[in-house]
Amino acid sequence: MVESKHQWKAWLYLSPCLILLLVFTVWPIINTVRMAFLEDYSGLKAAGGQVFSFGFGNFTKVIQYKKFLSCLKNTVLLCVITVPISTFLALLIAVCLNSIKALQKVLQTIFFLPYVTNSIAIGMVFAAMFNMVGSFYGTENELIVTAGIINNVIEFFGGHAINWINYGSSYAANMTVMVVYIVWNALPFKILVLLGGLQGINRQYYDAARVDGTSRRRIFSRITVPLLSPMLAYVVITGFIGGFKEYTSIVGIFGEGMGPADDAGRLNTMVGFIYDALATNSQGRASAAALILFAIILVVTLINMQVSKKKVHY
Amino acid sequence: MKRKLLSILMAVCMLTTAVLCSSCGNPAKSAEPNFDVPEGGYDGSEVTLKFYHTMGSNLSDVLNIYIEEFNKLYPNIHIVAEQVGSYDDVRDQIKTEITVGSQPNIAYCYPDHVALYNLAGAVATLDNLIDSQITVTRADGTTEILGLTEEQKSDFIEGYYEEGRQFGDGLMYTMPFSKSTEVLYYNKTFFDEHNLTVPTTWDEMEALCAKIKEIDPSSIPLGYDSEGNWFITMCEQYGSDYTSATGDHYLFDNETNRNFVKTFREWFQKGYLTTQTLYGAYTSGLFTAETGIRSYMSIGSSAGATHQRPAAKEDGSYPFEVGIATIPQVNPSNPKVISQGPSVCIFQKDNPQEVIASWLFVKFLTTSVEFQAEFSMASGYVPVLKSVAENETYASFLAKADGGAYVSALSAKVCLEQEKAYYTSPAFNGSSTARDQVGALLAKCLTTDAAGDVDKMIKKAFEDAIEECEYYN
Amino acid sequence: MKDTAKKPSLATMQERDMSKEATHQKAVRILVKVFLYAFLLLMAFIVLFPFYWMINSSLKTLDEYRLSVPTFWPHQVQFSNYAEAFTAANLGRLFINTVIVGVISTILSLIITVLSAFAFARMEFKGKNVLFAALLATMMIPGELFTITNYGTVTQLGWINTYTVLIVPFLVSVFYIYLLRQNFLQIPNELYLAAKVDGTSDIKYLWRVMIPLAMPTLISITILKMMGAWNSYIWPRLVANDEAHRLITNGLRNAFTETTGDVNYPVQMAAVALVSLPLFLVFVFLRKYIMKGVSRSGIKG
Repeated sequence: MVESKHQWKAWLYLSPCLILLLVFTVWPIINTVRMAFLEDYSGLKAAGGQVFSFGFGNFTKVIQYKKFLSCLKNTVLLCVITVPISTFLALLIAVCLNSIKALQKVLQTIFFLPYVTNSIAIGMVFAAMFNMVGSFYGTENELIVTAGIINNVIEFFGGHAINWINYGSSYAANMTVMVVYIVWNALPFKILVLLGGLQGINRQYYDAARVDGTSRRRIFSRITVPLLSPMLAYVVITGFIGGFKEYTSIVGIFGEGMGPADDAGRLNTMVGFIYDALATNSQGRASAAALILFAIILVVTLINMQVSKKKVHY
Repeated sequence: MKRKLLSILMAVCMLTTAVLCSSCGNPAKSAEPNFDVPEGGYDGSEVTLKFYHTMGSNLSDVLNIYIEEFNKLYPNIHIVAEQVGSYDDVRDQIKTEITVGSQPNIAYCYPDHVALYNLAGAVATLDNLIDSQITVTRADGTTEILGLTEEQKSDFIEGYYEEGRQFGDGLMYTMPFSKSTEVLYYNKTFFDEHNLTVPTTWDEMEALCAKIKEIDPSSIPLGYDSEGNWFITMCEQYGSDYTSATGDHYLFDNETNRNFVKTFREWFQKGYLTTQTLYGAYTSGLFTAETGIRSYMSIGSSAGATHQRPAAKEDGSYPFEVGIATIPQVNPSNPKVISQGPSVCIFQKDNPQEVIASWLFVKFLTTSVEFQAEFSMASGYVPVLKSVAENETYASFLAKADGGAYVSALSAKVCLEQEKAYYTSPAFNGSSTARDQVGALLAKCLTTDAAGDVDKMIKKAFEDAIEECEYYN
Repeated sequence: MKDTAKKPSLATMQERDMSKEATHQKAVRILVKVFLYAFLLLMAFIVLFPFYWMINSSLKTLDEYRLSVPTFWPHQVQFSNYAEAFTAANLGRLFINTVIVGVISTILSLIITVLSAFAFARMEFKGKNVLFAALLATMMIPGELFTITNYGTVTQLGWINTYTVLIVPFLVSVFYIYLLRQNFLQIPNELYLAAKVDGTSDIKYLWRVMIPLAMPTLISITILKMMGAWNSYIWPRLVANDEAHRLITNGLRNAFTETTGDVNYPVQMAAVALVSLPLFLVFVFLRKYIMKGVSRSGIKG
């Protein structure tokens, strides 16, 4: 069936792509593996002429480091919480958007806005919104100079200001802020994809359902969701991949300390862990951590794909 | 299929090259100076030098004037000055460039950065250059010796100059460029009104805070911007161990240090003080606030004096007068204040002429009284030369010092008065980690709920910080 | 495909459907609608708030920005921040550089993406599926690690401070290839086989049939790629930070560092707003195409 001429042509068409990938993606991957297996490899030391021996030291050091587990936990937690929430919200917004006429285009544009701007700058804005400026939280001397807009709103409705991100704040409060920010960040792309999918659904299905007198909820669960399932699968899979690489959002809120002032590093993630290793010039450990992260993402993605194969209707 | 094979081959080739390359770099550093001045010194050849800095446009303008001046003397040395971003940006950029040998010739640096570059042996030692007696002829016919004259050497403020030697091997790696320190800003109007005296010791500080709390119970009397600086300065003032450039690096877990941390925790619990990370913003904001919760003292960088001044009223006057003093001491007869601000280092290059030319330029900037004076006035930093104080323009700038419009002159004046008190801490690979860790440690110990046993909590926090430092080393 | 935006939506169809129903159901429907709009507007408000804050900050003086009590509207509206952002950064040069890099890399990237997607969608060759899976797998690797190695590579190639270094390393995007392949797969294979029988060359077929049909996807790729050029930061700063090649994000970021190493945030915020504006306008005008492009990507697995 396959002509050899065809084969040759296919490779020709692919060649620009493959050559570039070889040089700028595959080679860095090989180099990463190399650095991961050289004991305590450091680029600067290498430039200074030091020679490194082969071994698994980087992996054992990374895994035995006491903060490794906490980084892993934060990454997994954020992923598991934010992906379903953002997917659900995006679906809800997309369905709502699809069922209105007035303002539809304006709102669409607004929901896409976060996509076209600088995430670090917006992170700073979020931090300011949740920040509390003051001191001595929880002591008899407690002074709050100003609470960010979020706490103002809470107090307006009669609640108590919550210490979200400052020292003395709880892990749960920190995570809440991160979830809100990450979901906010993830929404535009998901809304875009899902809305695109909704608008692509052939109206004949709905017409048929209408004739049958199917209820709105049934239409949603029996027609909309199944027909949208490839999009949903796509959004969830890329969401998980992105979620495991979470880093800049945390820097945006908590700064390089990756946690409240009294517990720096509390919210550090796997990519943050890699960056820390790079910053202290331990490329060996950074590479080892990256390979571990890659293995995790690979397994999760394979599971995701397996699940979606069973659930997705094409 | 062929292509596939070819690509695998390619990958293997590249891998081999890289493996080989990891063993063909520069020789590691030793206790001997790593740069020898070639005979004849600067031979007048054309060189182009890259200079990485963090100067904003107003300072670049000053620099450019002096590059022109320099080129009148050495027309063949071309300086390409590049603003790379913040100090960290400069470090990150150079760190990456060193791995492929494309580092600049000259760069703004902090000691921690140099310790990092030294892992690759990339920074040229200056000892042989400073001592060189070779005569260099300039384009205008005049001559200078390549090294520093005794006069030039003794004109540097000693603490600043010695910063270049804090790398544990006794060699000189950097030249001071412009400096700042931490000073105590206080609300002079408030102090005068209530007959308060400026504290010179930490004991006086404690009494003063108590007094201010009585006068204004809703205030936070003292704000300290940098926890890291605070911890290190206290070690220095007590003479207790912090870090060492050689041997065991991390020595800060000792009784003296745990004790002062415990004391400050008590102050904090009484509502006497806050810090930048704990407060959630620059403490200068608290200091310059005119209503609500405010502080009456703020310890921060002397280069940030204008931020410690309240906003001017419509008639141009200020709501209160700012006073500036030396930070409190453990022992006022042996004061210690931190030395901050950029130095410059020179990088090794295959062509020794580039290194010599870099040195000539660095020497020109750091020993030029006019440059130092103008740069200091434009930046708020203090000059590194003693004789700048006698420079006419600079002297008249200092003479204007007051707690309002000329607050940066006041800050510069206070800095210059304490030039003997400057200290620097050892720099080594991992010294910046130690700095970050002690800062976080202090913030943690001030605030964490001790569950009844403060000593135990502090001890644990110190042990954790040491462990963390050691993981990264 | 027809213009999807003009299709009657689910709600309007149902509206017609229920027109004969009792009035209390009508009330329920109005309530639903009110709730719908309330929800959307609330979400829109949440999405917009940070942008309002960005603009608010960009109009403040540095001292006001640093106040511990943030103000919701600047006391002193400082439009000069925008002027400063514009002049201090030599914005003209930065725009030209960014446009050059953006346009060239978009064109090249499109060519590579089309060819690769075509090969994956229409051609049969050994190891196709394995290769495609491997390509997708590269998306899962944290890209930060590539920087160090790639920096070494481009230095050895002598590409530092050239346009090449800003363009070539990122020409291939597995994501775009994936997007376009999905799109190509939807075009019936019969068309291709018919063209083969007619003796039409692949390239001709691509140009005449596939590309016009995949136009919306190609336009979205173009826009995403341009956005990339507009927003890229870490790599350009490392490899091409000289005056002649500096890109807009770098230029803007570098220009506002104060003497003390502090950043003049209000001016920087103004700069961020300025940089975001062209992208925003592009989205407003080409929204329809972006939507269509994305909507087609996932229909067929």
